[in-house]
Amino acid sequence: MSTDLGLPSLGAGAGGLDLVPTTDAKQTAKDYTSDQEVRWCPGCGDYAVLAAVRQFLPTLGIKRENTVFISGIGCSSRFPYYLNTYGMHSIHGRAPTIATGLATSRPDLSVWVVTGDGDALSIGGNHLIHALRRNVNLKILLFNNRIYGLTKGQYSPTSEVGKVTKSTPMGSVDHPFNPVSLALGAEATFVGRALDSDRKGLTEVLGAAAAHRGTALVEIFQDCPIFNDGSFDLLRKPETKDQRLVPVRDDEPIVFGPENERYAVVQDGLRLKVVSADSVAPEQIVTHDASNHELAFALSRLSDQDLTHTVTGIFRNVDRTTYDDAARAQVQQAKDRNPTPDLQALLDGRDTWTITGQETR
Amino acid sequence: MTYVISEPCIDVKDKACIQECPVDCIHDAGKMLYIDPTECVDCGACEPVCPVEAIYYEDDLPEQWSSYLTINADHAAAGPRFDAP
Repeated sequence: MSTDLGLPSLGAGAGGLDLVPTTDAKQTAKDYTSDQEVRWCPGCGDYAVLAAVRQFLPTLGIKRENTVFISGIGCSSRFPYYLNTYGMHSIHGRAPTIATGLATSRPDLSVWVVTGDGDALSIGGNHLIHALRRNVNLKILLFNNRIYGLTKGQYSPTSEVGKVTKSTPMGSVDHPFNPVSLALGAEATFVGRALDSDRKGLTEVLGAAAAHRGTALVEIFQDCPIFNDGSFDLLRKPETKDQRLVPVRDDEPIVFGPENERYAVVQDGLRLKVVSADSVAPEQIVTHDASNHELAFALSRLSDQDLTHTVTGIFRNVDRTTYDDAARAQVQQAKDRNPTPDLQALLDGRDTWTITGQETR
Repeated sequence: MTYVISEPCIDVKDKACIQECPVDCIHDAGKMLYIDPTECVDCGACEPVCPVEAIYYEDDLPEQWSSYLTINADHAAAGPRFDAP
């Protein structure tokens, strides 16, 4: 049996930053740069993401002191040190739990989680899926380099089958997660993906994630030049990237490829496939719809995770009441029903009690 | 902040740095290579691979080559973008 909670909501179209104080002061990337020396390996993709985030944050026009970055454990989790915002380098895999508490108790904060493929999908897999399901107003940046870098190169939950690492000398026998499929399966209301070196694409997804009210998961492909070098080279090299990267935009037909070799995404039974754009009529080409859960899932599985066809952009973006808004509204509702609460009386009372003001349904 | 390519690169242009740069911010514009400071993400991948030690972090740029900070910025902005082979 379920009951109508009767909770007021912020309404459809509410933005992720609606309750965060804004500022008219001009901000630059420098304002968001801390005095800490950045310590990642030379060539690490984290530098590119950090530079993009430092450039992006000032464009939000919110107060710096109302911005929080919470990380778990891993190379990427050093992120908060390098941003001149509030931040916390927290417990392995548990950043979403701390962020959930913070977002629930402080609606005036823009809360971001920085995590990696190991931290989010292995150690913190449980917390990740429940944050997504609850739709807490927080933004999760999942840096996916398909390796454990901080511990010097063991296979991760996104490493390919057959990957030879220190912990898999004969090749990994583990089947990897597809992080986008996983997030969509966990009822995420916003799922996006970008490449670390594509500052424009990454910034666009970050902007939409910030504007989304609810949990946003952004998977960022990045290289670990020391332990998994060139992992995403197929998506970077000029001679291969255009045939493999499938950028999607809401309400636009899904076509991609170099100018003289265009491809289109069409429906094939219950799934999608890539065909030559010349071989199909324009109306057969699938138009992206970020409110269509099934389409988003099909796009996440356009090809195996061998980078044959890799969709980037915003897979899904829908409105749903957030956990933190609902929780705050329910607390307020309880206060309204009982304006003179007496906690001590409750503690001194019997083992069972009746909640006064409870309506009988 | 940015990395800067200085005098030793002139007429050498080994281009090992271009292979290493994860964000393709190194440009070939004539007698030497230049780093675009607006694109550089400070990752430092280019610095150790330079065979003539021409690349320095902005703060560590030797006094005699300090002018290369603006030279890099100017040329990178004006010069053609280098396409990786």
